[in-house]
Amino acid sequence: MKKVLFVLVALMLSSALVFAGGSAEKSKGQTTAAQDGIPAHKSELIIGSPADINNLNLQAQQDQINNIALKLTHQNLVFFTNKGTFEPNLATSWEFVDDTHIRFHLDPRAKFSDGSPLTATDVKFTIDMAMGSYVANNLAGLVDTSIVDDHTVIMEIETYNNEFVQSLASLPVAIQSKKAYDSGMKEPYLVGSGPYMLDKWVEGEYARFKKNPNYWREDVGVSDFITFKPILEDSSRVIALQTGEIDVCINPPINELDFLAKDKNVTVFEKAGSRLFYFAFNVTKKPWDNQKLRQAVACAIDREAVLEVAVYGKGTPQKTILNRGLWGFYDDMEGFNYDVDRAKALMAEAGYPNGGIKTSLLIANSSPYINIAQVIQADLKKIGIEVAIQTVDDATLKSTAISGTHDLFLWRWNEDSKVDFVYRDLFYTGSGSNYHHYSDKHADALIDAVATEKDQDQRMQDGIELQKYLVEACPQVPLYIANLVIAYNKDLKGEYLFGGGNHDWKNAYIAK
Amino acid sequence: MIRYIARRLLLMIPVILATSFIIFFAMSLTGGDPALLLAPENATEAQLHQIRSDLGLNDPFSIRYFRYMAGMLRGDLGQSYVTKRDVFRTFMDRLPNTLMLAGAAVLVATVIAIPLGIYTAINQNTWKDTAGMVFALFGVSMPNFWLGLMLIILFSLKLGWLPSGGKSGFLSLILPSVTVGLGLAALITRTTRSSMLDVIRQDYIRTARAKGCPENTVIKKHALGNALIPIITVIGMQLSNVLTGSVLAETVFSWPGIGRLIFDSIAKRDTPMVTGSIILCSILMVIVNLVVDIFYAFFDPRIKANYMRKR
Repeated sequence: MKKVLFVLVALMLSSALVFAGGSAEKSKGQTTAAQDGIPAHKSELIIGSPADINNLNLQAQQDQINNIALKLTHQNLVFFTNKGTFEPNLATSWEFVDDTHIRFHLDPRAKFSDGSPLTATDVKFTIDMAMGSYVANNLAGLVDTSIVDDHTVIMEIETYNNEFVQSLASLPVAIQSKKAYDSGMKEPYLVGSGPYMLDKWVEGEYARFKKNPNYWREDVGVSDFITFKPILEDSSRVIALQTGEIDVCINPPINELDFLAKDKNVTVFEKAGSRLFYFAFNVTKKPWDNQKLRQAVACAIDREAVLEVAVYGKGTPQKTILNRGLWGFYDDMEGFNYDVDRAKALMAEAGYPNGGIKTSLLIANSSPYINIAQVIQADLKKIGIEVAIQTVDDATLKSTAISGTHDLFLWRWNEDSKVDFVYRDLFYTGSGSNYHHYSDKHADALIDAVATEKDQDQRMQDGIELQKYLVEACPQVPLYIANLVIAYNKDLKGEYLFGGGNHDWKNAYIAK
Repeated sequence: MIRYIARRLLLMIPVILATSFIIFFAMSLTGGDPALLLAPENATEAQLHQIRSDLGLNDPFSIRYFRYMAGMLRGDLGQSYVTKRDVFRTFMDRLPNTLMLAGAAVLVATVIAIPLGIYTAINQNTWKDTAGMVFALFGVSMPNFWLGLMLIILFSLKLGWLPSGGKSGFLSLILPSVTVGLGLAALITRTTRSSMLDVIRQDYIRTARAKGCPENTVIKKHALGNALIPIITVIGMQLSNVLTGSVLAETVFSWPGIGRLIFDSIAKRDTPMVTGSIILCSILMVIVNLVVDIFYAFFDPRIKANYMRKR
């Protein structure tokens, strides 16, 4: 008996030790001394993320965390800055040959991490591949890509478009190596031209990137390794930052910020974001096809209260439908501010003087939607609208919203580069993410005008008119734009943060 | 014995068939469209159709199921919709982590629970018994999510002794295994106590004492040996539960185990990953139960004799 028990315990203990020790990674907490103009720094920068990296194939994934990681290894023709502008990147310059042809001049120095040159052939290969992939929508309007010479390509588009070049800054269309694909190598999509390359990825544990020895530009990164470590539980992620196990905590829980700010080794950074949370109607379904009724609801929602319960006030209440910071943002219209008396008057105009409406609100089963929904439920009760909250997962919400069987819904839209990705995607007739099922010829015409009008003054006027028109039509009630909040080691330098969360970490390091 | 093991292993076939059908059917009933999670937010209906076609989602349920089963017969559990990786390989990558956590948690639970169960049994109806049972109640009542965070705050943040999460060597195993193990210890303690109370009232225990056998020997050799069967049953059941049911602890401690894999896959409507993982988990559970049954024979000569007679 004793022997059996002894063997059992010994087996369990030894297997645990072997497994635990066997896959343990040697810590890279050491310091790298200053040399060749690179300052002294912690060897490895560790970023604690709230999601798992799940796919590093650029054109077969959509998750923000994958894109952030891939920004280290790949580059686009143009670079989108966190000021909302576009700069040359792999393409040193570009010009419109005519309304429908754009010529791009590639940087002749560019090369991939395997040392092979990056040429027009790779650009055409990548763009053609993207056109046949899930991410083709990023290149809507593109007709063809043709090679002029090794360092020049021409892209043909259906009609002149103010934002086509900006589309090329989207990470899924970052340039990949044709040679890598032709070689038949496993995972050819990992070969990029960025300053880092994948070192090791253990799914569910970490993805570590090391410096690309063949990097072609002067802006080589500082950190020897940049590692993404998924820590899905918010509080655990915060503690990991405080214990120094990670250097950056993406999306720290808002309710722990005050506590975190007291830690002298941690910086809590906050800036205006670009993620818009909105409440919306299925405008094809009665009674929500009634514009006055939608406006009444818009007046009945206390956005300040929503902002407070959703993100402890860390954001900006929103009046217009366009994400703050995008070109042509305008919110000087009267709009529909919180005014219960006006809401009741509009209810009467809509034919519902006594309310008496029962409806359902479809929401995702995650923060902050549940909190927002409860505030809205209470607000709408004041004007006689009884709301049943229906909580589902993201996939079910999207399927239901597309099918058009829903009444009301809560959702968000994160866009910081192209206005067309807001106007067209959310409000254009037949758009896949137009969950409002809104269709209006005048709005469609204005959306097209903003996209294609060459006279920028006229375009601006069209944009303002469109925003006023959509706010008045009220297919959605914009609620607030959440601030970007991030916490990190106080010695972090070189971070490049975006309000929408698509941060660029390639120059980030912990100074020593 | 070998025939018995073979028969038990053959019983896995209907288990796998039933499990695969139930999971496949349940996933098909859920409302979300996997294509919507894979496509960009602004995907057109044509793109969504293309994705569904690529994944074979446009086919009726029966065709998808039989196609899946045909693949399984060839040892192919499919490819994840999300990661595009082989389901079996992904599962096997995570399995050692789960086995490690489950093994360590059961070890922690056993080391705490069996001595405590014996101690409370031999001190029945005293304050020591009450204290032990309060501890057991405390263990079973504490959500391991909360307990895990408290342990992290104490041992990682305040004392700085242990890592707060991740899998980075033996030290990183301590907090998750203690968190899960304390929950398990409660039931094992109660079972041990109850089983020991049954046994120590038996005539042969009284006889052993009457013959002058030292109390220590009576408890360890005569009582515990005969009380072990229900304890092993409970430990086996707990082990089966921990293998797939440690999602919360795995999340709090960023432990890359099977529970988190299945949970994430369900959220992403990754049907091949969910179905494949659950089938493999059911095989794992059958094996664990078989091992527990074999242990019975080692600990109880009557069961062993029964096997021998059947031969």
